[in-house]
Amino acid sequence: MVALPYLLPYLPELTLLVATFVVFLLDVAGEHRRTTLGGVSAFFLIVAFVEVLADLGTWPFHALSTLPASWNGTAQGPILFTSLGIVFQGIFLAIAALVAIASLSEAEDPDGTPTFYALLLLASLGMLLVAISGDLILLLLAVEVTGISTYVLVGYTRKDRRALEAAMKFYIIGAFSTTISFFGASLVFGAYGTTSLLAFSQVPSDPSLALVGFAMIAVGLGFKVTLVPFHMWAVDVYDGAPAVVSAYLSAGSKKMGLFALFAIFVGAVRVFDTAGNGYALAIMMGGLAIATMTVGNVLALQQQTMKRMLAYSSISQAGYMLIGLAVNTTPSLSAATLQMVANVLMKGGAFVAVAAAAAIGVGPLITDWKGLGHRRPILSASFAIMLLSMAGIPLTLGFVGKFYLFFSAILAGGLFAILAIVGLLNSAISVFYYARILKHIYMPEETGSPDAHGGTRSLASSTLGSSTSPTDPQPSVAISEFRAMGYARMGVIVACAVLLIALGIYPTPIVTALNAAAHQFVALH
Amino acid sequence: MIPLDELLGFSGVLFAIGIFGVLTRRNFILLLVSIEIIMNAAILNFIAFAAYSPSGSPSGQSIAVILIGLAATEIAVGLAIVLALNRIIGSVNVAQAMELKL
Repeated sequence: MVALPYLLPYLPELTLLVATFVVFLLDVAGEHRRTTLGGVSAFFLIVAFVEVLADLGTWPFHALSTLPASWNGTAQGPILFTSLGIVFQGIFLAIAALVAIASLSEAEDPDGTPTFYALLLLASLGMLLVAISGDLILLLLAVEVTGISTYVLVGYTRKDRRALEAAMKFYIIGAFSTTISFFGASLVFGAYGTTSLLAFSQVPSDPSLALVGFAMIAVGLGFKVTLVPFHMWAVDVYDGAPAVVSAYLSAGSKKMGLFALFAIFVGAVRVFDTAGNGYALAIMMGGLAIATMTVGNVLALQQQTMKRMLAYSSISQAGYMLIGLAVNTTPSLSAATLQMVANVLMKGGAFVAVAAAAAIGVGPLITDWKGLGHRRPILSASFAIMLLSMAGIPLTLGFVGKFYLFFSAILAGGLFAILAIVGLLNSAISVFYYARILKHIYMPEETGSPDAHGGTRSLASSTLGSSTSPTDPQPSVAISEFRAMGYARMGVIVACAVLLIALGIYPTPIVTALNAAAHQFVALH
Repeated sequence: MIPLDELLGFSGVLFAIGIFGVLTRRNFILLLVSIEIIMNAAILNFIAFAAYSPSGSPSGQSIAVILIGLAATEIAVGLAIVLALNRIIGSVNVAQAMELKL
């Protein structure tokens, strides 16, 4: 019998476990409406998020914390609570809650809705476990909990051929990469004689065996994180999956893979730097970072559809974040985490915005967004803020993250400065394709039917069409825009955009907290 | 007892066969088989290293049991996905599911 006090520190994980069963039970009870199931899921996710904030000691929730202070930073069997891990739990729960709320505006689907929310909660549970794993096997198993849930999540509609195809590709790549990771883990186990993550900061008895094992784990997780050259699947999957699922994959499960890389490699990269092995792991990480940034950006330049462009830009963002691991200092890890917080808001928000645009009949091509800035001012402005943040324009959180990231690479000196230079060049390239989209959105409207796909309601509510509809007075334009694309969805989009600007102007509290968390993480590993 | 090197060599061969299968096969079921072969190579490694571990700790064997369970779960999900796809395109050939390439 496990005493209850021993379970209390795991309150966020238990909350999601309970939530998953509640959703399944509601399904059995015949409840298939999005408002109920989505509302329940969002409620539990927000409760778990508050608990995570409490564990971090955030005012005013700190009194609610159930995590003993002595547990933070000491291994409890295979579990290891760290401040950085808890920050990541917050990131994972934030994107899950965002997706749960935004999906309230999706079309009703009695068959798929319960599956969708149950799997969303289960995948988030796996992510939470990744963030507190202190053991390589537990970590890879938790990655796979999320993996198996997301394979199904991509194809959950079961009738859409493109989504099912995406699910199949995702499954093959996912299962393949998992087995490679486990094969690598078996070699690492052989070299160290243990699978505890904290042991990896010592020199193993057989360094070359450990190096091969680590390289295989990096390849396996590299598939999950969409590092070049393991990125081919990502674009097809993000393109074929429902847009809210793409948001979850791009902003959620990719961050999970990056945290897994951090947890495994922060100690190992340092050891192999100092043990006379010629910076093998640091060079590998740096090379992957450069390849990922460059290839992602160059391919994003040529894309014609919005979702594929976002998918390639998501790949290049992963490359920026990997700089944090290659440099492997406290500032660089903290900066990479900050960049991930920004990524949740801008990538999650952008994919939801694509879903919102599709709901009012905007086609998949980038040119289909032409003139949307005049017809849908709120959606377009929010989307523009997200694009500017991805490009790293000042006054957005994306700029702050990139600035700290490149600055930390320059601070580390030596060859690491190359990473900063390549990163800067890539940022410059990326401005081209983001600016091209902005130009389309805010281009003056061409003559002819302004809203050919939009149907009568969106035509009546558009600013240009308002002169032809006397029943729809001017002040209600914003309200009708919310109505046409769903209140929940628009609320999420606007909240993301506002947070990007707010945190971009005043990032000090979050930077301070991340610095402290990264410092503890590096000292521990 | 079988020497450690021979066990590792055997699992290395299994790994190579699995990788070759994943790269060349286009039938979904055979892809699953190839992925399983790689997984079994990893499981064999864990058992081999545990048997020769100086501390005599049984953690390698326990990990092997867990991994067998994981492999079964993965296959179940994979078969479910391919079944749903088979209803739509009428084939388990991966090459025929290529609508997504633009």
